[in-house]
Amino acid sequence: MKPMLVTFALFGTMPLWIEPVGLYRYLGVEIMIWCLFALGFNLLLGYTGLPSFGHGAYFGVGAYAMGLTQFKLVANLWLGLLAATLAAAIVGGLVALFISHRRGIYFALMTIAFGQMFFFIASKWTSVTGGEDGLLNIQRLPADFGVVRVSLVSNLAMSYFTFVTFVVVTALLWRLVHSPFGKVLRAIKQNETRMAYLGYRVFVYKWASFTLSCAVAGLAGGLFAMAQGGAYVQVMSLQWSGVVVLMTLIGGGLVSFWGPVVGTIVYFLARDLLGAYTESWLLWFGLMFMLVVMFKPEGVAGAWQEIIARVGARRRARAGALQPAAGE
Amino acid sequence: MDLMVTLGPHLLNGLALGLLFALVALGFMLIIGVMEVINLAHGSLFALGAYVAVALVTPEGGLRLAALGPYFATPIPMRFVVALLVAPIVVAGVGMGLEVCLRRTYGRDPLYGLLLTFGAALVIEELIRLVWGPTERFLPVPPSISGGISLGGLIYSVYRFFASAFAVGMIVLLWLFLQRTRYGALIKAGAHDSEMVRALGINLKRLRLLVFAFGTALAAVAGIVMAPIWGVRPHVGVDAVVPAFVVIVLGGVGSFWGAVIAGLLVGMVVGLTGAFATAWSLVSMYILLIVVVTVRGRGLLGKKSVLEK
Repeated sequence: MKPMLVTFALFGTMPLWIEPVGLYRYLGVEIMIWCLFALGFNLLLGYTGLPSFGHGAYFGVGAYAMGLTQFKLVANLWLGLLAATLAAAIVGGLVALFISHRRGIYFALMTIAFGQMFFFIASKWTSVTGGEDGLLNIQRLPADFGVVRVSLVSNLAMSYFTFVTFVVVTALLWRLVHSPFGKVLRAIKQNETRMAYLGYRVFVYKWASFTLSCAVAGLAGGLFAMAQGGAYVQVMSLQWSGVVVLMTLIGGGLVSFWGPVVGTIVYFLARDLLGAYTESWLLWFGLMFMLVVMFKPEGVAGAWQEIIARVGARRRARAGALQPAAGE
Repeated sequence: MDLMVTLGPHLLNGLALGLLFALVALGFMLIIGVMEVINLAHGSLFALGAYVAVALVTPEGGLRLAALGPYFATPIPMRFVVALLVAPIVVAGVGMGLEVCLRRTYGRDPLYGLLLTFGAALVIEELIRLVWGPTERFLPVPPSISGGISLGGLIYSVYRFFASAFAVGMIVLLWLFLQRTRYGALIKAGAHDSEMVRALGINLKRLRLLVFAFGTALAAVAGIVMAPIWGVRPHVGVDAVVPAFVVIVLGGVGSFWGAVIAGLLVGMVVGLTGAFATAWSLVSMYILLIVVVTVRGRGLLGKKSVLEK
């Protein structure tokens, strides 16, 4: 519970301090959206143990759905976000039908193939997606609560709106991974065959995990399209799909629910801080990432848990050493 | 008959493309087999091979050493051959470096190996950008294998004939190596059961290093041969390695001839849709993959393998 309060406090107060520390509000919006994406992705990677290298595609589907709902159907924020989530869930659900009986390397290769397929469709289907130029001029529609309409045009309002969405979705995900359903997913990660022998329908659980994480990716994509005022095909590329994996892992998604949040923050800070000094910041970030995988594969969260455990052990050892002394 | 004639050049394109995809896929598969690692840096090494070749063939390709003046005075065919021999060795060296980094991930979740190579892909691509810049480069082709020849009223590119023949030669050599030499037998055994290979007293560490060097060198060779057809850009690797993934899953992981057949299929499908239904050319191979894999779960010639765990 403590990390949850820290995260919410950090993100909730972000608009107040992000400008004084020299950053900008839009960065906060970006970070929260990608945190959402990474947390949803970690349901699949960290909890179910399925490596997807094509998740950018579903983020992109969400972004396009957001724009298309606004342009072709109705200009309503809630319907746009709903469409983004549902579109990604439907596409993801269909893909999951083809790949949910696979594991390991086969699974990863199939997700790459599907991800690339959507990437190429999006980049060539110009009449719908705008092709290489993307869908431009997506509006930040006002949030209509019946009695009041809140404009989200300013980055401040967008920050708070993203924060509220983040809180709601994160709470739901947290509940989900701590439910019996989440336990089954973790058991599948440990030993799929055993779960199948125990009578669990592994296919259904894997399918549900993939579809849910796609839905979250779609919602994040919808928010992102709204935040940056457009939907572009680049986020669907293999490289961006890899970046999500990287964010999730560098923070420690395999050992902690909050790992992806840490990883996303690290990634964006690295982009802005390293990027201020050098054009080729990805070179240094890539090297850093390689070192993390080689020496601290559990990521930042893993290192943190190790420190906590070591401090705890030392404290216990000290307490143990004092005990006989007190007894004498 | 008329249709067959117009199809000719496109079939040749598809053939060259397919054979080169198969070459990339085979190098990639050797690594998957013995190391159980998906080498996501394979595409970047493909691109690196092409860039090193550019540096070895053209004077403005990055090697600005005065001492090399006489070398660049030699005719292009000579330099092209040098590039075909030296660039794969350079890339194999980089590949061996990557294998040394990978050693720390052995025995852990295979995901970590995959991630390490993804990081390496980022690093190699950025290094290429740093050294050679983001603009497109061209690899000049020896005059004897450039240009076109006219057959039955249609013009065929000579270079594509060369590329196809070269790829066939490489595939046959690779097959002979795997079938007829002691190291080939060790590599196949390693792909089957690496623990057993070690238990029999084979130096598995050295075998893995060798396989990685060998697999990445094949990527570099394919990169060089592909360079005059596709041009050389920092991210050209993705265009080669993703079809290679498709080829492997389609042909069945671990199957040599499966990969060759799948490579040809993918090349033909991409070549033909590129000519007659351009909008579909980039998607067609995925549709092919999905159709085949839905019917045959392990690909065309795939067998049950350790990688499914």
